Amino acid sequence: MESFIATGLIGISLGTQYTLLALGFTLIFGILGVVNFAHGGFYVMGGYVAYYCNVILGLPYPVAVLMAMLSMAALGWLFEAFILERVIEDHQATLMVTMGFYLVMATAILMIFGAESPQFPFPVTGVWRLGGIYFPYANMIVLGACLAAIVFVYWLVYRTNIGRGMRAMSEDLPVASALGMRTKALFPFAFALATGLAGGTGALVTPILALAPHVGDSVLAFSFLTVILGGLGSVTGATCAAFIVGLIEAYAAVYLGGSKGALTLFALVLIILVVRPQGLLGREVRRS
Amino acid sequence: MKLGLGRLVCGSLIASAGFVGAVSACELKIGVPAVLSGPAAQWGIALRGATEFVAKETMEEKRLVINGVACTVSVKSIDSKYSAEGAASATNAFAAEGIKVIIGPVGSPEVTGFKPVATRNRMVAMVNSFAKNSIGPEWPTVFHIGPGPSGWAAPIIDVGLQRYKFKTAAIVAPNDQGGTDIASVNADIFKQRGVTVTEEYYQRGTTNFAPIVTRIMASNAEALDLASSPAGDAGIIVKQIRQAGFTGPIFRLGGPGTDEIARVAGGLDILKDFLWYEPVYMDDNMRALEQKYEKLMGSVRPENSDFFRWTFAARMMIKAIQAAGTIDNAEKIAAAMRTLPVEDEHIGKGYWIGQKFFGINQEMSYPFAIGVIQGGVKQPLIRAEAVSEK
Amino acid sequence: MNNRVPKSLPAEIRPSLFSGHDWIALAIVSLTFVIPFTSTNPQVLSQTNLILIAATAALGVYIMQRLDLMSFAVPSFMAIGGYTVALLSMKLQLTDVFVLAAAAFLMPALCAIPLGALILRLKGVYFVLVTFVLTEIVQLLLFEAGPITGGSNGLVGMPAVKIFGMDLWDNPHVLLTTCGLAFVSFIITSVFTRWFRSEFAAIETNDVLAESLGLAAWKYKAMAFSVAAGVSGLAGFALVNMLLTAHPSSFAPMSSVNYITYTIVGGKASILGTLIGALLLVSATDYFALSGEMSPGLFGLLIIVVTMVARGGVVGVVSGLLYRLAGQSPPLKNGEHDLGVNGEKGQ
Repeated sequence: MESFIATGLIGISLGTQYTLLALGFTLIFGILGVVNFAHGGFYVMGGYVAYYCNVILGLPYPVAVLMAMLSMAALGWLFEAFILERVIEDHQATLMVTMGFYLVMATAILMIFGAESPQFPFPVTGVWRLGGIYFPYANMIVLGACLAAIVFVYWLVYRTNIGRGMRAMSEDLPVASALGMRTKALFPFAFALATGLAGGTGALVTPILALAPHVGDSVLAFSFLTVILGGLGSVTGATCAAFIVGLIEAYAAVYLGGSKGALTLFALVLIILVVRPQGLLGREVRRS
Repeated sequence: MKLGLGRLVCGSLIASAGFVGAVSACELKIGVPAVLSGPAAQWGIALRGATEFVAKETMEEKRLVINGVACTVSVKSIDSKYSAEGAASATNAFAAEGIKVIIGPVGSPEVTGFKPVATRNRMVAMVNSFAKNSIGPEWPTVFHIGPGPSGWAAPIIDVGLQRYKFKTAAIVAPNDQGGTDIASVNADIFKQRGVTVTEEYYQRGTTNFAPIVTRIMASNAEALDLASSPAGDAGIIVKQIRQAGFTGPIFRLGGPGTDEIARVAGGLDILKDFLWYEPVYMDDNMRALEQKYEKLMGSVRPENSDFFRWTFAARMMIKAIQAAGTIDNAEKIAAAMRTLPVEDEHIGKGYWIGQKFFGINQEMSYPFAIGVIQGGVKQPLIRAEAVSEK
Repeated sequence: MNNRVPKSLPAEIRPSLFSGHDWIALAIVSLTFVIPFTSTNPQVLSQTNLILIAATAALGVYIMQRLDLMSFAVPSFMAIGGYTVALLSMKLQLTDVFVLAAAAFLMPALCAIPLGALILRLKGVYFVLVTFVLTEIVQLLLFEAGPITGGSNGLVGMPAVKIFGMDLWDNPHVLLTTCGLAFVSFIITSVFTRWFRSEFAAIETNDVLAESLGLAAWKYKAMAFSVAAGVSGLAGFALVNMLLTAHPSSFAPMSSVNYITYTIVGGKASILGTLIGALLLVSATDYFALSGEMSPGLFGLLIIVVTMVARGGVVGVVSGLLYRLAGQSPPLKNGEHDLGVNGEKGQ
């Protein structure tokens, strides 16, 4: 029983990471209709910015996280406004461009910071224990940050004019533009919001796990899984799916072993998709 | 391949005709298929750094003189991407330039893709990789820069058993060739010493090891071996297993990278009791080699300590070329290499081994070191003598 | 976007099967047969080999593009084809190149039918993501099915393939095998995609409408998926034959991105684009590998620049320019060249 609960806690920690990543990924898809292959790049670069601010410049960790979010939001804004925007109506071109940008980002990190992991510890160490059950305090903080991010995104998307605009554009872009939505301003904003989230996630999660130039690769695969399972473009769906993926991964890996666990996870996702192609909470398929 | 054969015959004719007095410039080009991108980049950077250093050293000190002409040595490195295709295509590019002497590649998939192409193009090579078939009788001109765990895991486990009490151990490694080939060898050696072993494999690309850690904890292992898990992954595993309350000793029987593991894990305190294979015993000789690198190349040596083994390997290759008296006849160079004693000015004497494990006596075995961290404090390295099969 | 009706085309005349681009592509591929006989330069042989394998694999993407579906499944089917060949030659000593090629085509094509029944209902990004997941699953299966696939070590030590009892083992012969496989794949792909081009175009434009007008869209989708799988299988054969090893790392999930890149950067509108894309990008990769750590970044930059500058792919832009030089206006803009969307079928 203890190991069952301990595994559940692991699943929840995994779920928080996946939620933070999937929120941004699904926002970009829902609003811009773009599958952002560079998402992992913003995650890693956010981690490195936080490392640079915290360890090299000696700024307090929370400031470093904030810097990571802001800088990645700025980079995302620039990338959307100057590169992605020009090909935005061709979904395959957006795929190529984001993929290319990911390669450029990963290479830039490797050239600047080198291939080996630097020491970037989470400021809070220590573990809460109860018998065989344990939960590191750092993971609790990330869980808190994740909840805050979910609340923030909901508030933004459902309670503000910007959010209404973004939702309208994701429903029907031509009509929204005809009604006077300023896509030119909202697209980069939405993209920056998502990449800022990714950067902040990197700043929070890489010190718990590891910081290295290549850790963004697997981010993409799991963001994919989460987002298709939840239903592309659905914020609620992505959140639920992230925790489902986290829990399945944890239980499958603990009870079946590392690589069989991954296989189970992929197979389950495949089955769910075949049965329910639009994902758990997805809408009608968006043509893309 | 008639033309290729013809070229080879011509090549050896020219080489043997050299003594007649036709003073031809001697230009040795060494091909280095090195992984320079992705997670394994640091290994390739060490390989490239070592070969470039040896090339410069050879020229400055006129170590390679064939028919009275001091040879120039240049290095061409191509990113082999840690994949079989990457290495095969790099090797073909070397073949196109007539390069016959290869130092590298590093990883198992690369060596797998490299060997058939190298053999087809009659190249002589010094490879790494801990795969069970890194070298073998099918590839007579391929040499191994040093043993894998088959050579050094036993003495390290013995040191561990002297210091700590454990009857069970868990081995964790990635589920590909780079992982399984090492983990299974380590498992056998643990079992020979009466330790019960469970093997855990994870998918490469995993970033959160909490589920694997939970499995290890459930297996009630008293010791852990990280085998060849990449340093970044190994660091997370250590961090998470200590959080889960594991207090036993941790082995790292799969190559260097302890500094990086410590950085990721969060310091030596977290490693606590840790034993690892260190390619070289850092003594004044090694520090002299480091200084020589700095003086010659104008920068500090690549951080990965496989740099040293690659340096010894590249020097050995130069010696074999000198002994063979040809820079482009792979068979002759290989034959000369087999007759040379394993010896390096900085690390000293070693042995040729490999007959037992690979079926061919083409593996260089040098003294190595056992690293120990006890109670979070780094202990002086333990010097281990070169493994010999005699 | 493809619903332009050409101004003067009698509806009852079916235009010639191959377009200019098809002929050029087939001509280039058949010209490569000359290389194994004239060159012994390993670099030339190896590059040609890699380019042809890349182009053949990318045909799998090209075929699915006819239906506006972007497939990440190419490495899965390459793996099925490649491992089939390795198993047949190692376990059953079957080394005849024709038998092996047939097996490399049929095995993935057959596997694709039940798979297609499951996933071809998906469209757009869902199809992209499911094929991506599928590739991950196949990769894991290769590791888990150790007794058959050799697990993480792969299958090493294949015998050389034979043609009419003759060994095809050295560099030029290996390339010759690849040339043959590539040529067959290009013929299959161009005949298949051109023969049904109107049906495909109708489905690409609006499959719901096409279906409601009596076109059995699922049938064409299933055929396309199956043929795409078969062609990928041939590419897998060529790759395994080149390396003499069937190794899981040759079929890594992320390699699907490369094949998609070849097709799109070259120009997805015609088969020539796939070939040119593979030619340019494989050469670029090879060239960039010399700059070590920088190489992925340079490759990324190249993709961005080509995508931004050459909309419709390299072939689209070049043929647009040629038309302009010839003083004509291009028949379709953005390199959407001569897709055979002429409305005489499926409507």
